[in-house]
Amino acid sequence: MSPDPALVMRNLSVEYDGRAALRSVDLTVSQGEVLALLGPSGAGKSTALHVVAGFHAPATGEIYINGELVASPSYLEVPNRRDVAVVFQNYALWPHMSALDTVAYPVRRRGLSRSSAQAEAMEILDRLNIAHLAHRRPSELSGGEQQRVGLARALARRASLYLFDEPTAHLDSHLRVVFLEEMVSRLRASGAAALYSTHDAEEALGLADRVALLHDGRVVQVGTPQQVYDEPADAWVARLTGPASVISSPAGPGHVLVRPDWAYLGGPLEGRLLKVWFRGPHSDHLVESRFGTLLLREPGPPAHRAGQRVSWGLRRSWPVGGGEDQAETEDQISSSFAGPE
Amino acid sequence: MRRAPSTVVVQRGVFTIVISLVVVLVAFPIARLAQTVWAETDGDLSWILGSAGLVTAVRNTLLLAAVVTVVAVPSGALLALALRRADVPGRGFFRVAVLLPILVPDFVLAYSWTQAYGPAGFTDSMTGLGWDGVRGPVGVAVVVAVNAVPLAYLVTAVGLASRAEPDLERAARVSGAGAWTALRTVTVPLLRPALAAAGVLVFVLTLGTFAIPQVMGAPAGFTTVTTRIYANLSLGGDSASFVEAVTLALLLVVLAGSVVVPADALLGPRLRVRRQAVAEGSVTASAGRAPGRWIAAGLGCYLLATVGLPLLALVAAAVTRAVGLPPAPSNWTTDNFREVMTARTFEALTRSLWLAVTAASLLTLLGACVAVLERRRSGRPLSSMVTLTLVLPGSTLAVALLISYGRWLANTLAIILLAYLAKLWAFAHRPVSGALDRLPPDEVQAARASGASALTAVRTVALRPLLPALMAAWFICFLTALHEVTMSSLLYGPGSETLAVVVLNSQELGGIGPTAALSVLLTLLLAVPAALFWVLLRVVRVPETDPSPEVVPHVA
Amino acid sequence: MTAQSAPPAYIARMSAQLSSLSGASSHRIRPKHPALAWIGLAAIGALPLAACGGDGGQSEGAASDTITVYTCVSDETIQPIISDFRDKNPGTEVDLFRAPTGELNARVAADKRSGGLRADVIWACDPLTMQAYVDQGLVGGWVPDDASGIPADYRTDDYVGAHILYMVAVSHDGSKAPKSWDDLTDPGEKVAVPDPSFAASALGALGYFADSPDYGVQFYDELKHNGAVQVSSPDDVTVGVAQGVYDAGITIATSAYKAQQDGSPVQVAWPEPGAIAIYGPVALVKNSADEKAAKNFVGYVVSKEGQTTVAESGAYPTMEGIDGPTVPEGAPVVLPDWKSIGQQKDRLLSEYQSIFGG
Repeated sequence: MSPDPALVMRNLSVEYDGRAALRSVDLTVSQGEVLALLGPSGAGKSTALHVVAGFHAPATGEIYINGELVASPSYLEVPNRRDVAVVFQNYALWPHMSALDTVAYPVRRRGLSRSSAQAEAMEILDRLNIAHLAHRRPSELSGGEQQRVGLARALARRASLYLFDEPTAHLDSHLRVVFLEEMVSRLRASGAAALYSTHDAEEALGLADRVALLHDGRVVQVGTPQQVYDEPADAWVARLTGPASVISSPAGPGHVLVRPDWAYLGGPLEGRLLKVWFRGPHSDHLVESRFGTLLLREPGPPAHRAGQRVSWGLRRSWPVGGGEDQAETEDQISSSFAGPE
Repeated sequence: MRRAPSTVVVQRGVFTIVISLVVVLVAFPIARLAQTVWAETDGDLSWILGSAGLVTAVRNTLLLAAVVTVVAVPSGALLALALRRADVPGRGFFRVAVLLPILVPDFVLAYSWTQAYGPAGFTDSMTGLGWDGVRGPVGVAVVVAVNAVPLAYLVTAVGLASRAEPDLERAARVSGAGAWTALRTVTVPLLRPALAAAGVLVFVLTLGTFAIPQVMGAPAGFTTVTTRIYANLSLGGDSASFVEAVTLALLLVVLAGSVVVPADALLGPRLRVRRQAVAEGSVTASAGRAPGRWIAAGLGCYLLATVGLPLLALVAAAVTRAVGLPPAPSNWTTDNFREVMTARTFEALTRSLWLAVTAASLLTLLGACVAVLERRRSGRPLSSMVTLTLVLPGSTLAVALLISYGRWLANTLAIILLAYLAKLWAFAHRPVSGALDRLPPDEVQAARASGASALTAVRTVALRPLLPALMAAWFICFLTALHEVTMSSLLYGPGSETLAVVVLNSQELGGIGPTAALSVLLTLLLAVPAALFWVLLRVVRVPETDPSPEVVPHVA
Repeated sequence: MTAQSAPPAYIARMSAQLSSLSGASSHRIRPKHPALAWIGLAAIGALPLAACGGDGGQSEGAASDTITVYTCVSDETIQPIISDFRDKNPGTEVDLFRAPTGELNARVAADKRSGGLRADVIWACDPLTMQAYVDQGLVGGWVPDDASGIPADYRTDDYVGAHILYMVAVSHDGSKAPKSWDDLTDPGEKVAVPDPSFAASALGALGYFADSPDYGVQFYDELKHNGAVQVSSPDDVTVGVAQGVYDAGITIATSAYKAQQDGSPVQVAWPEPGAIAIYGPVALVKNSADEKAAKNFVGYVVSKEGQTTVAESGAYPTMEGIDGPTVPEGAPVVLPDWKSIGQQKDRLLSEYQSIFGG
């Protein structure tokens, strides 16, 4: 394994049709590490992956893979000579090839004969439990099956860096879980590093070693899942990484961020219950108080009804900068709550 | 209360109308030709089909069509691939400029090539490099190919846009394939149906091409079936010659049919694979190692050689007082232009414009109808049918229409319009057919489910993505109709002289100066609408989607 | 000819449409309902054509004083003839269909098979074509009584020659002008020959040489041996010689003189035993709807006035004693035997093609 990081992006900017798609991005992925790129649509996640894969050229900055320069404004290594494999959002399976040929394709490119490439491809399909699909074409496969073939193709590349471009975006939620588990276990087994783009906070926090938050082409925060969830850089990050309310600090000047599970009922503070939702394992409460409106989560079914006066308290909170602009309306809170599924 | 006709009734109605038009424009005229031959030979064709010269002509024709197809289709595909790259400077300009050869009437193109590269031509007098072979089989093949490349380009470009999504090629590159391997293993296989479609169109077009072999091939004794047909019509005027000409034309139809029908039967369903509509992406610098500016330079050279120099030679001939004088300022004159521009020319120009606009509009509608109908099992033969009249030389098609409808329509603009519709239907149909693949059926259904009538659904949802293809079809037909010579010069009557007829009649063809002047004027006349087309295309272009598509329905 | 001018309403629509087109481009207005625009465009387009279908065609029966002339004679000649004829015969209109011989033949053949010739007079460019029409019973059976002014060589009982094409030799300035056709076979001369499979004039020359005891088809063989090149038409011969691609060639006199007058570096020669004369005959169509006016027209064309107009237009008249374009003093003229050419056309062409073909 190379002593250098699997991937280094240094001061990377990318322009697309004269529009800045990435602005001065600095990111490092260590060997064997999974870094999630989390951001909304248009934040530049796909652009970041494309520029690493070699589909676009950077406007400024450099990219190193395993310590080797692959892209700078004056030098551009072609995708096939980069030690990367890509899993595409829309699968990008070749309609004229069977699953077996598709997976054998990168093996063939390594110079193996047709028969040994097919043998290796069969082995990979078998490992992913889709050997029975070997002779089907993409049009004969379901979305989940297609994405598994896509994953098999990427694994067949035996790269040291894997790029996942929202691989679950087109999958049903139950397929998603299966696919993610499979993908993570294969990835860990291969010991390769990965850059994983997603707009789904739960997915990012659940599988990544570290999470980088992308907003309008800029990296806003990088940290472990715990860090970005507990100590978000700002209210925007907070809302992207999970449900959160911003209220005036009960303990002093300024505003604080409160996750629903950081607050509890029966504390020292006064408030009035605006709404209650029963969520099965837990219940959510929307509480109005003189510090602002916040969302609060209690285990079990709700014990109060909307309109009742309640007392509440905070187990912890996180100070955030800014002021009035972060005060939230009820709508925003409930939508931020309803967010990631 | 008025009840709207049900969808089924409307569909049946359209189907019936299109079928009737195919019968009127294609089937009946061809049948009438066949009947004429049968009646006047009693079925004994041996004296025509057995003649020695015919074997040579058929061999030449097939060889020419094969060579041109083999040259023009890959060239068109290369152009389409090159012009897909975002890093080619002036891509917008090149995308229009590569279509230039179809803007120039093909007899003009042929003539201008002899003037540019032939002995005593442009390159010969400037650098001493003249090409004797330009008047001969090789010259014919080159110019027919140059003329066919834009067509191949259009068909493959549409195929590229609808089938070869950038991600498929990226997946190949990132799987370790070099640019060449990715092209060979992914792009070309994906393009195969489009390439085959382009091949069929180019092959058929070449079988029926007349002006270029006539101008450039005859001097070397290179005869094709079409030049033989013209020779039969030109010499004698007796029934036997006429029947022979018609028989040869039918032979062309049979040759074309034996290529088109199986090709359409095999490729049709494969071409029409429904695919998810994914925005046309542009392949960036990393796709190949040659920088975009090299490609642009190559394209520039190609255009200069195929169109630029020949047109320049043409302009030189147009402004020169007499043939054989050097094109120096002392020999310059505007006489040739004045000779061509008369009041009658202007009157005919208005008429021709009107006719071309009408023909192009109807053709686009008809082409779109066939493109939709051929997706139904019962409509499949339609696309082959409308291609058959493309192979008929203009003179024979005009004769077929006169024999069929001359009793009622002789000397009217209507019969000229029928001729244009019959000849150009395939030109209008094939680009639209290719573009229809990009249209996911869900979108129209979604519109219907949202309460839109069939017409509204098509207008609001389907038209926009199809607009570039429809406009391309419209302009190809418009331009071709505007400079059509053969059919209108045979069909016109009092008050229906088209532009080409008036100008060509005003002097014997062969007066080089005026012919060159006419060509320059025609080219200008066509370049202006073409420029307009370019501008319009830029206005209505389907907006390019976000460069980094991240489909996210709800964001927290 | 009657050039029916387009109705003003249609011009107005046209220009309105044009201006709306250009407006859309310059202001970048996106059509709100493109589908409607397309359908509208098509519908509007269909209107005038539908109208045309109704009133189109020649005036059948109604206006009995309109005749239709089919010809391959160039506009330069036929237009003055028609306008002069109209001046002298007020009340008679002449509709014209003019096309090269190939298209003319196609039109006649198509007419014949769809209800009969839609012409009253045909003026062809060579006797071969006209004789074929006679043989099919389409034209002939009548010639004007006063056609005697036209030499007997240029007329039959069915048609009368109205103009002549002379096949002469053209050579580039500086090359030797041939005194006799034989001189074209001199070594070192690069000669251009027009293809007889398309142009009847070239076929006439081939027929003359083939029949002539002094030449025969081997004349073409010798030409070919000396590097002679075939080009598609007599006009192409003139152009090629003017450009210096060829040293000399066989072409039509009018074409060569026109180039010379414009200043092209060419000279024209009428070689021994003579320039080959190909006459263009005019004939009455059988069962002409307006026989009287049609006969008038044919009579006018071969009358002294008509022939003078032909001569003034730059073509060679058939009538003797009328001053046409340049014919050198005492220039010899020979005539091909059209009957023989008609009979052995296929053999002549195949012999020729065995020399010059492919």
